[in-house]
Amino acid sequence: MRDHSNPSMTQTNWDLIRDAASGSTTAKSSLDAVMKRAWPAVYAYIRATGRRSEEATELTQAFICDVFLARHLLEKADQSRGRFRTLLIGAVRNYLADTHRRATAAIRAPKSSLVAIDAMSESGFDMTSDGSRSSPERAFNARFVAGLIRAASERLQRELESEGDHASWEIFRLRVLQAAFQGSAPGYDEIAPRLGIERGACAAKLLVAKRRFAAILMDELRATILDPNDLQHEVSELLSFLEGR
Amino acid sequence: MPEMTMHDFPDPQHDPSGSHAAQSLGDTLRWAFELDSSPAIAGAAFLTREIIPAAKDPFDAIIAASTTQHQLEDLKNAYKMLRTTGATAPERSLAARLYAATIAAALVRHGAMISRQNPFTLAKAFEEMSADPEMPERIRELGPLAIDAMGRIK
Repeated sequence: MRDHSNPSMTQTNWDLIRDAASGSTTAKSSLDAVMKRAWPAVYAYIRATGRRSEEATELTQAFICDVFLARHLLEKADQSRGRFRTLLIGAVRNYLADTHRRATAAIRAPKSSLVAIDAMSESGFDMTSDGSRSSPERAFNARFVAGLIRAASERLQRELESEGDHASWEIFRLRVLQAAFQGSAPGYDEIAPRLGIERGACAAKLLVAKRRFAAILMDELRATILDPNDLQHEVSELLSFLEGR
Repeated sequence: MPEMTMHDFPDPQHDPSGSHAAQSLGDTLRWAFELDSSPAIAGAAFLTREIIPAAKDPFDAIIAASTTQHQLEDLKNAYKMLRTTGATAPERSLAARLYAATIAAALVRHGAMISRQNPFTLAKAFEEMSADPEMPERIRELGPLAIDAMGRIK
């Protein structure tokens, strides 16, 4: 029996996709777990192609239903046996192209209106709202990594608090997450008295928490690939995207 | 996880290109992925910078005349915990030396005893620190000076 209460700890994305398409008794919860992971990145990609929020939401839902439920992604997953991120981003790109072709065919639009979306399919991700290079792919990857960080953070909190070490989680949350995502973090002079710990001990607890977070993050990323040898490549590629290279 | 929601993460609706998100996420991710190749001093260096952000390395932070007694106490407490929580034996061993060095520096630079360890235990730790060829000369020199200072404080 699979542990669907906490899929990230026990299952790779591939396990979940296969189970979602299998028609098993756990298929629905597997599908929910995959959708929860994929939704933000897919939505970010679609938004970054210049579509409005409502349209992006509808397309994301449609993508999830058409591609996941129709089992197309599963078939490709079995063929490629590769990286979930790469597969997903290609699937979204193709889905948007197909959707656009269907829509324009239905209204008998002039052929010129297909040029931009076709160019996106053929040459990469060049069609964006502002014409900037790879914007949808960057948005997708930023959201994908945000999902990884979120999953790793939630798991770190669960683990530390189950060990009765709320202080380490709190220091990590304030000094790392708040600093990264809100741009500011309280100093140890403020944190230490609140937690009843010496300042130096706070720093040492943060080191332990950061290392544990790093290990969990790698574990989460490992869940998105099939071949362990792909891990370093996946890391390098994600960092390159995030650094704009 | 009530304190942190998806709203804490960069929202692509407001940043469709993901450029701001990419910067913060890249920094976080790079830090995590670089840990595997960290040398033994990495943990102590991190702790030192958390307490004295401008510090070049743990040794300089301990030796610097600008380091206050207050900061030495913070460093001592941080290295003390690293002695047991360090990721590797070399890291824990280095933390033990640095722990002794902060107490020695407080004695020598500030004439202050920042430890409740008994004098014999401290003197032994200072001697071992001074005899350790892996410690920089400037740290090793602290040992005999600290033993002298401890004698004066008694």
